[in-house]
Amino acid sequence: MENIVYIRMKKHIRLSGAPVVHLKDIAFVGAVSPKMRKRLEQTQIYQVTESDSNYIVIDGFIIIRHLQLKEPSIEVQLIGPSQTIIHVEEKAKEMPAWIAASVWLVLFIGAAMTIMNFHYDVSMQAVQQKLHYLLTGEKENHPLWIQVPYSIGLGLGMLVFFNHWFKKRFNEEPSPLEVEIYKYQQSLDDYIIDHENKLNDSERSQ
Amino acid sequence: MILNVVNKFAQILIGFSGGLAVGAGFVAFITVLGVIPRLVQLAKASQHIRLFGSCATAGALFGTYLSFTDITWNEPVFVLIIWGLLHGLFNGMLAAALTEVLNVFPILSKRLRLDGYLLWLLMAIVFGKIAGSLFQWLIFVD
Repeated sequence: MENIVYIRMKKHIRLSGAPVVHLKDIAFVGAVSPKMRKRLEQTQIYQVTESDSNYIVIDGFIIIRHLQLKEPSIEVQLIGPSQTIIHVEEKAKEMPAWIAASVWLVLFIGAAMTIMNFHYDVSMQAVQQKLHYLLTGEKENHPLWIQVPYSIGLGLGMLVFFNHWFKKRFNEEPSPLEVEIYKYQQSLDDYIIDHENKLNDSERSQ
Repeated sequence: MILNVVNKFAQILIGFSGGLAVGAGFVAFITVLGVIPRLVQLAKASQHIRLFGSCATAGALFGTYLSFTDITWNEPVFVLIIWGLLHGLFNGMLAAALTEVLNVFPILSKRLRLDGYLLWLLMAIVFGKIAGSLFQWLIFVD
């Protein structure tokens, strides 16, 4: 029992520069004796070099093999994710505000144009003219009493869908925006786990 | 006489088939965009989900009636405002769902590293839609 060591791989870590990766960087370690835990945590696992790509996948199996070679007496139990993705990056810097402002303008104009094209596409003007006649009995080329509330409602509908007004949110649950970004990240991770994992690379696994 | 009956029957068949295809397409479109589930989720009304579905069906039928009828009512302006607002709310949710499906935001966040500005960028789209729509109705259409 005393020799059982539990390893839980961290899912995703970010590093910058070219550091030596220790076990404690990529995994949580649990062992009965604190001394052993400290010692294992300091085990060197990987040296990041310039030639590495931006993503490195360390498979839990490699950790087990490595630790067993080093300390044959222990028994390693792997729990949680079975690999860690190391994202090597230059100091992560936010984009300057003027780029954000340009993107803001692009989205603003783009959104305006797409909604106008949409209105033409579905002949909304004609439909609203007919609707105005139907509801009031008067012909009106510019049924603004429908169109202006419509425009405001358009914005409100989007806010309701996204559950956001700037930083303020209407309730606690995650918005579709956040879920979408999470799903995208998840797919990226899955792809990287499959393609950057050296154990999946048949040429190198000899 | 026989020809007339055949003709009528063909019209019924064409109309019915067309309606069936459009109705199925409409439901598929609404379902794919996920507007109804989103509303159910926001209203915390998952036990009434069937009701939401039948509301959409009733709305589609009512809309079909309005498209083909020639009647007029004498409703006050107030009704127009409510109608326009609800019309906009629904279209806004459709537009939002489309924006989301197009995956603009993960790209903005990952590729352009604009994570910190994401909600402002979302507001750009919201205001863009409002401004574009108002611009079109008030200025552009003449």
